[in-house]
Amino acid sequence: MKKLIASSLLATGMMFIANAASAEDCGDVTIAQMNWQSADVLANVDKIILSEGYGCQAELVLGDTMPTFTSMNEKGAPDVAPELWINAVREPLEAAVAEGRLHIAAESLSDGGVEGWWIPQYVADANPEIKTIDDALMHPELFPAPEDDSKGAVYNCPSGWNCQILTANLFKAYGAEEKGFNLIDTGSAAGLDGSIAKAFSREAGWLGYYWAPTAILGKYKMFKLDAGVKHDKAEWDSCTAVLDCADPKRNAWSKSEVYTIVTDRFKKAGGPAYDYLSNRAWDNATVNSLLSWMTDNQGTGEDGARYFLENHADIWTKWVTPEVAEKVKASL
Amino acid sequence: MEWLYEFPNMDIDSLRALKKGIDSGFRGFTREYGVYIENAFEPLKQFLIYSEKFMLETPWPLIILLIAGIAWFASRNRRIVIGTIVTLLLIGYFDMWEDTMRTISMIFVCTVLSIVIGIPIGIAMSRSDRLQSVVNPILDVMQTMPSFVYLIPVVMLLGIGKVPGLIAVVIYAIPPIIRLTNLGIRLVDKDVLEAADAFGSSSWQRLKNVQMPLALPTMMAGINQTIMMALAMVVVASMIGVRGLGQPVLQAINNQYFSLGLFNGLAIVGIAIIFDRTSQAYGKRLQKYQEVVHG
Repeated sequence: MKKLIASSLLATGMMFIANAASAEDCGDVTIAQMNWQSADVLANVDKIILSEGYGCQAELVLGDTMPTFTSMNEKGAPDVAPELWINAVREPLEAAVAEGRLHIAAESLSDGGVEGWWIPQYVADANPEIKTIDDALMHPELFPAPEDDSKGAVYNCPSGWNCQILTANLFKAYGAEEKGFNLIDTGSAAGLDGSIAKAFSREAGWLGYYWAPTAILGKYKMFKLDAGVKHDKAEWDSCTAVLDCADPKRNAWSKSEVYTIVTDRFKKAGGPAYDYLSNRAWDNATVNSLLSWMTDNQGTGEDGARYFLENHADIWTKWVTPEVAEKVKASL
Repeated sequence: MEWLYEFPNMDIDSLRALKKGIDSGFRGFTREYGVYIENAFEPLKQFLIYSEKFMLETPWPLIILLIAGIAWFASRNRRIVIGTIVTLLLIGYFDMWEDTMRTISMIFVCTVLSIVIGIPIGIAMSRSDRLQSVVNPILDVMQTMPSFVYLIPVVMLLGIGKVPGLIAVVIYAIPPIIRLTNLGIRLVDKDVLEAADAFGSSSWQRLKNVQMPLALPTMMAGINQTIMMALAMVVVASMIGVRGLGQPVLQAINNQYFSLGLFNGLAIVGIAIIFDRTSQAYGKRLQKYQEVVHG
């Protein structure tokens, strides 16, 4: 009975907040700031626009995909995940959307994320016959392993990321071990990026997992290897994405859908701020160039967001109403 | 009055130029000298690979016997030896043998390297106050600088893997042995040193036969602390691709696999306790021996 009273009180309170919000401000909103650059800068763009344009008390909360998603799903906080790569959380997300706990506001990256195995462009230019993953695996000598020169290396995605399982299964599926390759665990994004930076500073070979949009791909020209097969969703779900799958087959990454996810509370309370989130999208070319600017200038996510708002008004003013655009411009 | 509330900071453009300058300077340095530096670390890398191979390829009963033997030799304590064997058996039973062997091998190399570098530095420090005043702040930096700050440049220079991991661990773990060697030698009784001088011992004899033996228990405490701190760095080292118990922990943290994290965390604790008890017991035995000598 107590619970019932409490929940009905809560519901009344919610409605009250919702009414208040539609009037002037949208109240407190917490935005998940993921620890990779593109999500970082988008979170900062959202923070500036929501607080300056819509009068929200916006606050950033640091987090990784899984912890953030779990917290949004279980606890309803943070309110907004601006850039959630949903391949990693598809099933629980679908369940949460069906139950009305979470809502998909927009496809924040209109091109989607591109993932796969990449090699440096200079290696691709020097060896024009290498087009697919199979071609590259014929040449372990071009991609020497860091601790064993007699073998080639495939640099895996950082520990605990979903792509670590995928890459490990594909490594098995393409028979890379029999072809003389080691799967190198990079440990963290910093480790993975560092290995690429090192290879490029020496013009050495490098083969491994990476994804766009990223500053690394804006800064270092890389060539994406063709998987040689089409994306097979059934196989993907039943084996490629499953830890320790017994008999993985070759498979290709599909375009990753990248969405903005909001909690039910914010959808109801956010009012016009929610409309903004469901309108906002940018393409990979914009993001790559922005990230590359950030890396060249050692900019933080906030610097990047300000640079974007100052220099790309043509893009972001379409996301908001003219009045809001004026308010945001005035604040810069 | 605004200047009272706004700190007069460097303007953003010069700050950016400064950061960019440092960055491109470092990048130029890696491009120029990266290969030579990497070659200089080659013997260390071979040592690491060899040590790991030894731990992985030796049959497990032999490894258990070896570690139990070392524990017995160092502690002469039946309970520690039994505890060691049980811990190792449990680790193996829960399928963490390979990762544990990798971690032990890494810790072993790190400890050896820390001792080889740290003890001479500690001795030199104990003999010169000026050197002590230079080295102490450096040790403070090594202990407090967040490790990723220096890990990124090291990764750009040497790539990912064992050697950068080793550097990170040694930077973090070497200060106690330097500090305690210094302290141990400085605390040796002045009267004893006078006696040594009176017997006409040379500076080397005084160090080798008087100061070092008397400082040994303190130095053992330093080694013990070094081992403990090296183990604490296992997870951080795994973030730049060092294989071992740190990797499953990292995976567990990122995926919220509670039990995976707990098991591997407990395995780290298990070997920490083995090393700690063994080295402490050894330190105590050294002290006991001295008490007999000095009455």
